Order: sequence, then structure tokens, then C-alpha cells
Amino acid sequence: MSRGTGSLFLAVVTVAVSMFALIGCGNGAASAPSTPARSGALQVVVAENFWGSIAKQEGGDRANVTSIVVNPNADPHAYEPTTADARLMANAKYVVYNGAGYDPWAPKLLAANPVGGRRVLEVGKLIGKKEGDNPHMWYAPSYVARVAAQITTDYKRLDPPDAAYFERRHANFMNVALKPYSAEISLISQKYHAVPVSATESIFVYLAQTLKLNLITPPGFMKAMSEGTGPTAQDKSTFDHQIAFKEIKVFVYNSQNATPDTNALEAKAKAQHIPVVPITETLQPAGATFQAWQTSQLRALAAALHRATRR
Amino acid sequence: MQASWNPLTDLQLLFQYHFMHNAFLAGTIVAVVAGAVGYYMVLRAQTFAGHALAHVGFAGAAGALLFGLSPVVGLLVVGIGAAVGMGMLGDRNGSGDAADGVAIAAVFTFAIGIGLLFLQLYPGQAENAYSILFGAVLGITDTDVETIAAAGIATLIALTVMARPLLFASLDPEVAMARGIPVRALSIGFLVLLAFAVAQSVQVVGILLIFALLVTPAATAQRLASRPPVAIALSIALALLFTWLGIAVAYFAPYSVVGFYVTTIAFLTYAVVVLLTSERVERAWQSRAHARSAAA
Repeated sequence: MSRGTGSLFLAVVTVAVSMFALIGCGNGAASAPSTPARSGALQVVVAENFWGSIAKQEGGDRANVTSIVVNPNADPHAYEPTTADARLMANAKYVVYNGAGYDPWAPKLLAANPVGGRRVLEVGKLIGKKEGDNPHMWYAPSYVARVAAQITTDYKRLDPPDAAYFERRHANFMNVALKPYSAEISLISQKYHAVPVSATESIFVYLAQTLKLNLITPPGFMKAMSEGTGPTAQDKSTFDHQIAFKEIKVFVYNSQNATPDTNALEAKAKAQHIPVVPITETLQPAGATFQAWQTSQLRALAAALHRATRR
Repeated sequence: MQASWNPLTDLQLLFQYHFMHNAFLAGTIVAVVAGAVGYYMVLRAQTFAGHALAHVGFAGAAGALLFGLSPVVGLLVVGIGAAVGMGMLGDRNGSGDAADGVAIAAVFTFAIGIGLLFLQLYPGQAENAYSILFGAVLGITDTDVETIAAAGIATLIALTVMARPLLFASLDPEVAMARGIPVRALSIGFLVLLAFAVAQSVQVVGILLIFALLVTPAATAQRLASRPPVAIALSIALALLFTWLGIAVAYFAPYSVVGFYVTTIAFLTYAVVVLLTSERVERAWQSRAHARSAAA
């Protein structure tokens, strides 16, 4: 063996051994989280766990729902799919993803693996939002209701014998499960009507409209923050001014997408004794239901509004 | 996915899904092109140009997002523009001189600046550019494979036509110029080819990691073989090996980021080859051989 081929051979062996070690030591962690469901249950894959929680509650034991984006400490805008995600998508009978430019990796995984008989629900398409619009549709109670109804319709089409079961689950979800959430929303909208508030990101816009709060943050600022670009100097100085002169009563920020800019604003708000309320993109904690997570955020918001306005 | 450690079963598992067929097809084409083009890039000491051309792709990708074009189109337009710009502003023979470095840096930073503006103007998620920076090997459609194949074949044909004069111009530009070989045109032509190679590889490893496939296989091959045809063949073979292994490992491993595995395999191979072919080791081999012949 010549020296050249000898060293190449050694290099390949070293690499092969270290790769096997990498595969081997990780295999324990690789096993996908699977929820026990009846055999023959519908295989459902949902890109984000806020929609996944709804799909799970509506599907009951007739649907095996797996969510892909679940980490409450990472920014889901920047999610990179894994091969395990691609396999999940390839095996799914029903796929739900947010769309509106929020999860461009999801349609890509679907397009790379065309199969027949798969139903896909793109929430943005259903609601009529496209890329560039505010994609945080799960923060709008009316959109949540429309998505829940569509998921039930799709379940019934995919599994007609269980149609009555899905109807019952849907009625239960809307009227029982979502009750505390809807109650908290109507309470805030009545009690704190037109209270001026600020938010670091467009994630709060739909909810603020429903709650009838007066969100006075420059829209350009919230959009830039959400989309990961820089805000303009004009918008930033307006926001600073609103905090410095206490024009806002409550400061809402997205703790899952904190940047040096938003951290500085949060510190300024705290220095002015303006109550600060964190909200998140995905379920917090990761195992919570959609309504438990939203309701606890709404209660924290109501408490902050109470402290600020004494109403 | 659990590896069964039975090679046949594992191969079946690997090709169970359509998206993996597309990943391997696209990866294979990209590796062949990167291995061949990379050989000349390393030979011409134009790694900085390759690095810069990969990064100006950022502007191309951001522009494509903004104007609603396919990222490959954006990358090609900006990449070819930058390649011509670097060639025109640079040194006459364009073989890695200081003047070239400055020209490359000027074009490169200008392009990044334009990319930043495009992203700011783009109404959607800035993070959508991530998939271009790091590759989206799991999301390759049949149309993507066709595009990559067409671009790859065009690049390889152009490289074959240029191969001999380019080799001459790379090894001895002055003599080549004296013999009437259009050294400068070749230099710009090669940069355009490099931009082409970068643009088509975006889907697989992304513009940040394409660099690994352009540099490492070629550099490893040049340490092991001195005859150009052998070195080019070895460079292509190594690029293929890195890509295939990277995709396969990512399929079975828990942290399935293809780019990480491709670059890790490439880095480890290069590091081991450099260590084993370094002068100290060489001396050790020689003294062992001496000892052996003395004993005999």
C-alpha cells in the first residue's frame, strides 16, 4: 500500500468509526415521542403544537396527532426540519400547518414527498392570509374557531364511520374546553376597553383587537420584530417616547423571540413601573393544552391591566 | 429512525421515501460538480473567490424572495454578476494575487449590503433566507432535481471544454499568456462556472456549506495525488463519499442536520490526511523504511 492510499484509508476508517459512534450514542434520544392511540387511528401531523393541541382534542382516540415544533424556548420562525419530521410528514394521512410564510419548511417537505390520499390544511389559506400578513392566527379567537371546525370537517371526510364521534368532540371542545378562555376574553374586553398598551411584536395584534385594547405601538415596529428585520429609527423613537411618558399601561412582549432591542425596551418599561406581560409563540409549558396556555396568559394580562388601571 | 446494522435492511430503510431519493439524486449531481470545479478552485488558489461567490448568494436569495423568483434564478443572476465584477476589477491573470483579494472583498461586501436591503424590503419572514443559507435537503421536489441536473450537466460540459487551457493558465499564467491563451477571459469564465456550481448546490448544503464540498475534497485529493486527472477523479469521489455519507448519517442520527454531517466528515478526512502526509510523519515513515532496509 502506498503512503497516499494508506492515509486515505486511515482517514476513511476514522470518519466511519466516529460516525457510527454518533449514530449509536444518539439512538436513545432518536425515538420519536409517540402517543398511545388505537390501532388504525388516523395518522395526523401538525407543524406547530398550538394547532396540534386543538387537532388532538378534536381527534380523541381516533387520531394519532404528532406536533413538530414544540420547543417553548426556541423561535419557531427559524425552525429547521429534521429527517424524522420529513418521515412523519411522508407517513401522515392528514397534515395541518400554519402557512402565511410562518413555516415555509412544511410545504417543502410535503412537495418533496408527493403521495395520494393525503389531506392538507393550510391555515393561512383557510383564513385568507398570505406571506407578509400577520401569521399569528392562533391568537385570534375567531380564527381558532374556524380552524377547529375545518379540522373536524376533514376528520369526518377521512374517517366517515366516526363522523358522529368527531361531531361530539368538536362540540365539547368549543363549548366546554374553550369556556374559560372565552370567558376571560369577554371579561377583559368589557373591563379594560380602550386601555392603551404596547407590544414588541405582531403576535399580540389579533388578540389586542379582540380584547378591544388600544395597541398604540407603531405597526411597523411589531412587524419588523416578528419578521426578524430591524425596526426603523422613527418607529423605535416613537416606542421609546411611549414608554418614557407612560403613554402605555401594560407592556406585552414575546419571550420566545427576545432580541437586544426588545430586552432594552422591557428594561425601560420596568424602570417606569409599567407592568410587563410575557407571551409565547408556542405552548408554554410544551405539554399544556391550547386553552390552558392561552387562559393563563390572559389571566396574567388581566392582572397587569388591573394593577395599571386599578379598575 | 433506528439503524438495524444490517446493511441491506438499512439501505432499504434509506430509500423508503421519495424525499430521500430526491436528496440522493440532487446530492450526487452537486457533489460531482463541486468536486470537479473545486479542484480548479483550489489549484488556482481562489478559495476566497469561492467563499465570496457562495456568500453573495445571500443577496441573490434575498432578491429572489423579494421579487418572488426561484432562489436558483436569484443566485445565478447575482453570482454571475459578482463573478464578472471580481474578474474585471481584479488582477490581469486572476490567480489569487493581492489585487484579486481586494476586488473580491469589494464586490462581496457590496453584495451582502444589497442582500440586507432586500431582506428589509421583503414583507415576509427574514428567517426564510435560512433555508437558503443552510440548505433544505429534505424539501427537494422532482422539478428541483431536474433543474439541478440541467445546470450540473451544463457546468460539467463547460468545464470539460475549458479544462486543458484552464489547467495551463492556472499552473503558469505568464507562459500561457505568451502562448496566446486568453488567460483573463478564462479567469472570468471560471469564476462564472464557480458561481454556477454554487447556485445549484444551494438546495443541498446551502451557500454556507457548499464551501466544504468545493474546498475539502479538492484539497484532500491534491495532497494525495499529483497528476491532475487522478486528482480530479479523487476529488469527485471524495465529494460523493462525503455527501452520501452525510445524507445517510443524518437519516439515522438523532440530530439530522445534513450540513453538519457533510462538513464533519469532510473536515475529519482532511485533518487525518493532512496529519498523515505532514513532513514529520513523512520523516517517520522514511526512517522506518530505512530501519527496515538496514535490518534486511
